[in-house]
Amino acid sequence: MTAFAIARTALLRLFRDRSNLFFVFVFPIALVLIIGAQFGGGFEPIIGVTGVDGDPLAGDVVDLLDADYGIREFDDSDAAVLAVERGYVSAVMVFPDDLSAEALAGRDPQIGFITQPDSSGQAIRAAAESALNRAIGPTAAAVAVSQSQGVSLEQAELLVEGAASAIADVDVETRTTGDALFADLGQFDLGASSQLVLFVFLTGLVGSAALIQSRQLGVTRRMLSTTASARTVIFGEVLGRWGVAVFQGIYILIVTLVAFRVDWGDPIGALMIVLCFGLVGASAAMLFGAVFKNDQQAGGISVVAALGLAALGGSMVPVEIFSSSMQSIARITPHYWANDAFAELVRRDGSVVDILPHLGVLAAYSIVLLTVAIWRLQKVITR
Amino acid sequence: MTNVLDVDGLKRSFDDLVAVGGVSFSIEPGEAYGLLGPNGAGKTTTISMVAGLLESDAGSVSVAGKLMTTKSSDAKRAIGLVPQDLAIYPDLTAAENLKFFGSLYGMRGASLNERIMTVLEMVGLSDRADDRSDEYSGGMKRRLNIAVGLLHEPQLLILDEPTVGVDPQSRNAILESVEGLSSRGMSVLYTTHYMEEAERLCDRVGIIDNGLLVAEGTRRSLVDSIGQDDTVHVTATGNLHHVAELLRAVEGVVTAAEAHGVVSVVVDRAAIRLPSILATFTEAGVSVVAVEVSEPNLEAVFLHLTGKALRD
Ligand SMILES: Nc1ncnc2c1ncn2[C@@H]1O[C@H](COP(=O)(O)OP(=O)(O)OP(=O)(O)O)[C@@H](O)[C@H]1O
Ligand SMILES: [Mg+2]
Repeated sequence: MTAFAIARTALLRLFRDRSNLFFVFVFPIALVLIIGAQFGGGFEPIIGVTGVDGDPLAGDVVDLLDADYGIREFDDSDAAVLAVERGYVSAVMVFPDDLSAEALAGRDPQIGFITQPDSSGQAIRAAAESALNRAIGPTAAAVAVSQSQGVSLEQAELLVEGAASAIADVDVETRTTGDALFADLGQFDLGASSQLVLFVFLTGLVGSAALIQSRQLGVTRRMLSTTASARTVIFGEVLGRWGVAVFQGIYILIVTLVAFRVDWGDPIGALMIVLCFGLVGASAAMLFGAVFKNDQQAGGISVVAALGLAALGGSMVPVEIFSSSMQSIARITPHYWANDAFAELVRRDGSVVDILPHLGVLAAYSIVLLTVAIWRLQKVITR
Repeated sequence: MTNVLDVDGLKRSFDDLVAVGGVSFSIEPGEAYGLLGPNGAGKTTTISMVAGLLESDAGSVSVAGKLMTTKSSDAKRAIGLVPQDLAIYPDLTAAENLKFFGSLYGMRGASLNERIMTVLEMVGLSDRADDRSDEYSGGMKRRLNIAVGLLHEPQLLILDEPTVGVDPQSRNAILESVEGLSSRGMSVLYTTHYMEEAERLCDRVGIIDNGLLVAEGTRRSLVDSIGQDDTVHVTATGNLHHVAELLRAVEGVVTAAEAHGVVSVVVDRAAIRLPSILATFTEAGVSVVAVEVSEPNLEAVFLHLTGKALRD
C-alpha cells in the first residue's frame, strides 16, 4: 500500500508540470497525425507503381491516376508489396516490362494489382481499371481495326479517335457516405504503434529525472526515516515510473483508437505490450536514476537515449527498410521487440499467444535492468 | 520510566575522517535536549545515526526502548525527523506533501486528513494548506518541513538546525512552535550552533566539537562549571588572529578566539581586565570598533572548553 502512495505521488507530480502535459498529451498525438499524413499521403490515397520506366502506355495510366491519387514509384515489386502491407501505399500496380509492345502486338498485357482487403482497395481497383481501359483501350482498338480492316496502324488510330469522340463522354460520379473523417485507409496505424513505442519509453525514461530530484531534495532520505523500508521506497518508485509509462501507452492507444480509428489488433495483446514495454522503460529510468547524480543531465541523456533506441528499433523508420546488418543491430533494442509485437497483432492478425516470445524478451530486459538498478540504488540511497 | 532516547558510544568515520568519535547521551520523556556545536562538529552525522539513516561504526541507539538500526521500523515510528535541508516536494501543496509522508507511515483517510489539519495548525500554515510549497517564504517552507516530522505523533521530534538561513521573524516563529511542542510534553532533540537557541529551548545541552561531547548539563550547571568568568566581545578590524594569540598571554584571560571580525575573550573579571585587553589591541595596531561584555553563557562555556568561538 505504501508503495502505491509513492507511485501515486509520482503521477501527481508528473501532471503538475505543464510542459509534461504537452509532451504526454499533445505531442505524441501530433506526431501520429504528422506521420500518418506523411506516409499515408495526407488524406489522398497513394498508389504504388512498378515497371513504368519510360513505357508510354504505363506513363499514360499513371498520368490518368495522378489526378485523383498520389503516385509513388518503386524499383521492385517486393518493396512495393511491403509498402502495401505496412500501409504506406493503398495499392500497387505492377506493370510488365513490355506493356506497350504487348499492347501493340495485340496481346492482352498482364498487370498485377495488390491491395489490402478493405473497401478502399476495391475503390482504387475500379479507378485503376478504368484508367487502364482509357489509356490502353484506344491502342488495343486501333490494333484490332488495323488487323481486321487491313489498314495501317496510323489510319486505324484516326478511325478509333473519331469513333471515340462521337461517343458522348460518360462521367462516373462517385460519392462516399458515412463519417470517414479520419478513418481513411488505416493510414495512421503504422505511425500510431511506432509512436506509442517511442513515447512509452521516452516518458518512462525521463522519469529518471524525477527520481534524482527526490534524492536531491532530500525527500528520498526522509522517506527512509519513516517506517517505509528501502525496499518499499524503491518498489514504490518503480511502480510510479511504470504507472507513468503505462498511462502514456494507454492514452495513445485510446485516443488513436477513438479519434483516428487506428486498428490495434487484439486489445489484450496491445495492453500486454504496453505493460511489458512500459516496465522496460520504468526499469531503465530506475537505472538512470541510480547512475546519474544530476536531474538535468539525466533528463537530457534520457531524451537522447530514448530517441536513439527508438530510431534503432524501428520506431522512426520501419526496420524492414534497414540493411540486414542494421536489422540485426535493431534486435538489440527493446523497441524492436515492441514494434514487432505490434506488427504481429496488427498486420499479421496475431493474438496474445503469438506475441508471447516478444513479451518474454521485454520481461527479460526489465528483469536485467531492474536488478542492476536496485543494486545501485540501494547503495546510493542508504549511503 | 524508560528514556525516549539512549545513545551509547556512537562512532562513525568517513574514510580517514572521524565525524563522530564516541558520543553518548540520553533524553528523558518530555525533555528538550540540545546538541550545540559549530559547523562540522558532527551534529548531522549523529542525528543521521539516531534516525536510522546511517549505519554506525560502533555504539547503539535505542528509541523508547527499541533498538534503532537502518531497518527497524518500530524504532522509526517513534521518531519524527526534521532534516537540516528542506525535504519536501516544492511542486506539491502543503496538504499533498503531508498526505504523501503520512501515507509512508501507513496513515490513511479521514484520520490522516484530520491529523494534517492539526499539524498545519501547530505550525501556523492552516490558511496556506492548498498552496504549492514553492510559493512559500523561506520560513514557511521550514515550518512545513517541521510539520512533516510531527505528522505521525512521534515520541521524539528530532530537529537538525531548523533555523539556518531563516530571517529573524520566521526564526522566532519556528522557535515558538518548538517551545509550544516542548511545553505540551513532546521530547525534542535539537541541534544548533546558535547558543541563544540552545539556551532558550533546551532543558539540557550537550556541547559537541570534533565529533565528541565535551560537556553536558543544564545551562546553569554548564555555566557554573566555568566559574564566574565574563566574556568580552571586541569588534575590530585588523589581524585579529594575532591579537587573540597575544590576548591569551594577558593576565586574567582564560582564553581568547576570533571569528568573523569579533574577538571573544573569556576573562576572570571584565571590569578589572578591560584596560589591559584594549591596550593589547592598540599594541597590535588593531583599531577597535565596539566592545561588549556579557555574563557567563553557553558560548563562553564553548570558548572555555575548546578555545574556539562558536559562530559561523
Ligand atoms: N557523507 C559524508 N562523507 C564524507 N564526510 C562527511 C559526510 N558527512 C559528513 N562528513 C564530514 O563529517 C564531519 C561532520 O559533519 P556533520 O555534517 O555531521 O557536521 P554538523 O555538525 O552537522 O555541521 P553543520 O553545522 O555544518 O551542519 C564534517 O567534517 C563533514 O565533512
Ligand atoms: Mg549539520
